[in-house]
Amino acid sequence: MARVVVMGAGIAGHTAALHLKRILKKSDEVIVISPNSKYNWIPSNIWVGVGKMNKSQVTFPLAPVYKRKKITFHQALATAVHPAGDSQISSPYIEVTYTDSNKNGTSAKIEYDYLINATGPKLNFVATEGLGPDGHTVSVCTSDHAIEAAHSLKAVIAKMKAGQKQTLVIGVGHGTCTCEGAAFEYTFNVEHELRQAGVRDLAEIIYLTNEYELGDFGVGGLIFTQRGFQTTSKLWTESLFRERNIHAILGAHVEKIEAGLIHYELVDGTKGMLSFDFAMLLPPFRGVDMKAFEKDGSDISAEIFAPSGFMKVDADYSGKPYEEWLASDWPNTYQIPKFPNVFAIGIAFAPPHQISKPRKSPNGTLVAPSPPRTGMPSGIMGKVAAVNIAALIKSGNRAKVRSASMADMGAACVASAGSGLRKGSAASMTMYPVVPDYMKFPTTGRSTDDTFGEIGLAGHWIKLLLHYMFIYKAKARFGWFLIPE
Amino acid sequence: MENETESIKHAPLPTEKTLRSRRNLPFQFWRFAAINFKMIKMIRRGHH
Ligand SMILES: Cc1cc2nc3c(=O)[nH]c(=O)nc-3n(C[C@H](O)[C@H](O)[C@H](O)COP(=O)(O)OP(=O)(O)OC[C@H]3O[C@@H](n4cnc5c(N)ncnc54)[C@H](O)[C@@H]3O)c2cc1C
Repeated sequence: MARVVVMGAGIAGHTAALHLKRILKKSDEVIVISPNSKYNWIPSNIWVGVGKMNKSQVTFPLAPVYKRKKITFHQALATAVHPAGDSQISSPYIEVTYTDSNKNGTSAKIEYDYLINATGPKLNFVATEGLGPDGHTVSVCTSDHAIEAAHSLKAVIAKMKAGQKQTLVIGVGHGTCTCEGAAFEYTFNVEHELRQAGVRDLAEIIYLTNEYELGDFGVGGLIFTQRGFQTTSKLWTESLFRERNIHAILGAHVEKIEAGLIHYELVDGTKGMLSFDFAMLLPPFRGVDMKAFEKDGSDISAEIFAPSGFMKVDADYSGKPYEEWLASDWPNTYQIPKFPNVFAIGIAFAPPHQISKPRKSPNGTLVAPSPPRTGMPSGIMGKVAAVNIAALIKSGNRAKVRSASMADMGAACVASAGSGLRKGSAASMTMYPVVPDYMKFPTTGRSTDDTFGEIGLAGHWIKLLLHYMFIYKAKARFGWFLIPE
Repeated sequence: MENETESIKHAPLPTEKTLRSRRNLPFQFWRFAAINFKMIKMIRRGHH
């Protein structure tokens, strides 16, 4: 009998846990540790943030699903990993602190044969003074944040209805943020809502981003073929901004936020201030607070985790200059080299380098969009980690493990630009591979056949379909595993 | 850095016909099928 422990029940961890239970023998045990009692389909938080969906439409309780699937669930926060055990416990284990109402605050040690770290990001609002729900801006990163964002949006709409002009700033709250796609989506959803409310003419909407160019999305932009020409996501995005009359401030690092005032520095070193009535700025991400210890009790966190707090896996972390990195630097199996029974997937693994070119202002401020690890790659990593662990349990060192490199994986992203079955709109994009491979695709780093973008109502239908399909899948309903990640 | 407002100002605007086609139900049904097909093809290519 083998025991697999999964830390985190987001897209990566939940997918891994369900597949593990499906593939492993009945006698093997799958344990999930996650601090929240509910699963959140995060991509739809955008619609909660404009008041188009409520919390119950984007979340559901995890315990009944795990009970039905015979997966053990601990509502707890993992705090430390002991990958070689310690002087008293010979097997590897993790330390957890319970967050449910019964055991709240109590700790436990959970032993494992295989461990998956899928703890996602720590929303690092504190990196920027005044950022986030405890400061002066709103967020859509969690369903509760998104509810608060919807309330604030409603308040500015009410002011506009009373004839007051309002400035709405949407974007990212630090020079090293990722997830620009989500900020982009929220911008266009808000714009759509303002038009529906009949107050668009009283709103100035500003997209504030660390991207050097529009359409970068943290992946260095996309090049695709349209009507016989190569076009760029830059041109395409700029066109959408012009059409919807949205302004943009690019290459920005937000330094500090006061009530109604954002201080920022641009990549050219100039500093600026921006007044706002409503601001939704995403936080930078870092790894969750977790420590790692050797058998003798010494702290090996610096060896296991990158300075960003994300877990180091089978990637090239030599820190070579941006110009010299290769697609092959990206991880294949997401195992920690020193402890191959430990995997880190989804947002939890440390990317070896930026995909979008990092830049520094003359003052030395880093303006460098971090590589996004969106839903689809996170789900695929979850499935592949599950398949590999099953193979390792069955065949040990002779097992043939599969690779799930982001340099050999595509991503489909549907960025909503407004909801409504007849009036909705979305930008549908695909890219292959996510991490450009200039050896395979010398001109653009990506396949121009499999990289494309298109705007229209069909995109909204796809986004809605994905919402229902992925929640069905996450609930592990009949035939769930037939739905691709 | 390129002045972003300038580049947005000069970006190509979609024509009325393009805007209409983005909302046209029969055309969008066809695009729905076509985009799904493209996505499935891309997923197959990268799926492990
Ligand atoms: C607003 C927004 C919109 C987005 N829209 C899209 C989109 O349209 N398409 C797309 O592909 N991607 C989108 N993304 C990205 C997508 O949500 C992420 O790629 C995905 O959630 C990453 O999955 P994950 O499992 O790595 O992390 P998460 O989904 O964040 O899951 C992490 C899990 O770990 C748990 N956890 C945290 N700390 C601990 C701990 N110490 N111990 C145990 N468990 C812990 C959390 O509670 C959570 O259950 C969006 C992201 C945001 C923020």
